[in-house]
Amino acid sequence: MKPSVLRCNHVTKRYGDFTALEDLSLEVYEGEIFALLGPNGAGKSTLIHCITGVSKQSEGTIEVLGFDTLRDFRTTRRLVGLVPQEINYDPFFTPMESLMINMGLMGVEPDRERAEDLLRTFALEDKRDAYTRTLSGGMKRRLLIAKALVHQPRLLFLDEPTAGVDVELRRELWQEVEDLRAGGTTIVLTTHYIEEAERLADRIGVIHNGELLLVEGRESLLERHDGRSLEDIFVELIRRADGRHAA
Amino acid sequence: MNRVALKTLFIKEIRRFAKVWMQTVLSPLVTTSLYFLVFGVALGSRLKEISGVPYIQFVVPGLVMMTMVRDSFLNTSSSLFQSKINGTITDLLVAPIGASEILLSYVGAAMCRAVITGALVLVVALFFTWFPLHNVGWTIFFTIFVPATFALLGIVSALWAEKFDHLAIFPNFVLLPLAFLGGVFYSIDLLPEPWNAISRLNPLLYMVNGLRFGFLGVADVSPVASAVVVLISFMVLLSVAGIMLQRGYKLRT
Repeated sequence: MKPSVLRCNHVTKRYGDFTALEDLSLEVYEGEIFALLGPNGAGKSTLIHCITGVSKQSEGTIEVLGFDTLRDFRTTRRLVGLVPQEINYDPFFTPMESLMINMGLMGVEPDRERAEDLLRTFALEDKRDAYTRTLSGGMKRRLLIAKALVHQPRLLFLDEPTAGVDVELRRELWQEVEDLRAGGTTIVLTTHYIEEAERLADRIGVIHNGELLLVEGRESLLERHDGRSLEDIFVELIRRADGRHAA
Repeated sequence: MNRVALKTLFIKEIRRFAKVWMQTVLSPLVTTSLYFLVFGVALGSRLKEISGVPYIQFVVPGLVMMTMVRDSFLNTSSSLFQSKINGTITDLLVAPIGASEILLSYVGAAMCRAVITGALVLVVALFFTWFPLHNVGWTIFFTIFVPATFALLGIVSALWAEKFDHLAIFPNFVLLPLAFLGGVFYSIDLLPEPWNAISRLNPLLYMVNGLRFGFLGVADVSPVASAVVVLISFMVLLSVAGIMLQRGYKLRT
């Protein structure tokens, strides 16, 4: 088995009386694409936020390559990249400037060549000096991915990267994810598109009401439920969990 | 300390206000020129002298301070609040930086904007009057610490604010009245009691008079008392802003 890149130990996250994550433990291994599936509000983004520093867990520990995300946050944040679910951009800056700024924020000396490479990779070189607000939705999403890669993270989080994008762009993004994995980046992907997980993931986790219901390799999961689609397996898991809660 | 991030964030903040220079640099100049025209030239010709100096000269340090206070506050508060609204605050939250880098870069850039606009107000003032530089040390002290204090207040406001209305509370309902009642346009010696005593509770009075002493050598309160008020305000706001950022107040949910 490959070494562990991410280890969540009994992570709980509460917002007042509401528990968003309940005693969640998870490991992600080097070089894999791990897809975290779950309905809206399941806790996918909350988990990613706790790992990347956008939020803090209430209990439990999270380690990235053996470093604690709270105690050694300066180290872990250099190792991690985040593509957030919501498109965000600074209206004052161009794609080139945004990439240079993000490099500096991640502690890497701004490198124009690296920024040019990323703009080329994500087909944004023609828009390098345009104000970001003038970019199309797809371009803005590609810029978000480029921004998350400026410091060459070992572990990349893609939080619903294809939510609300058209089929063509979705396929382009899938190809980019596969290229990144081929380049050695470990990827954690949250999605509620089952097809996306089926196409990309090595292992799949299903989260619902803040609890991790299942973690298994995609192939063994499909083999075990011989002939049934991932969508059927997912729906059954969620229904069973809802029934358990209702009982 | 992440020095690369600190430098990057500082330059980014400078470039942010430089890109909208008409709004951030030119607009305060127009406002201040109007103040000079109305209070300095029109009213000044009737008021002649206050505290032994010509009225138009008397208002110069107050107008410089008012500009620096407003601009340093607006620079940090608008930048940080816009980041919260447009979601780019995530870039800061996931970066390997702590509260110290954010404080130093945001406050440093706000001070630069305040010093630039303050200096331009002085240039405008030269079209209306000349003025001496009585004490360089006090002038530099108040030019550094007052904008730094209000830049910190801008950070606190932006972290606390949840909508644009919240952000407008301080400049419109606190800063502007305190500035007008803080001796920018008059000496509080002209006020009867209890207004004279009440005016002494206004921190802006000490800031305006501190700079006025630096330039003109006259003030309603001693420069030492002004420096104490400024340093206490600075330390309190530095602690509050530092704790809020450290804890991720309304940022790291």
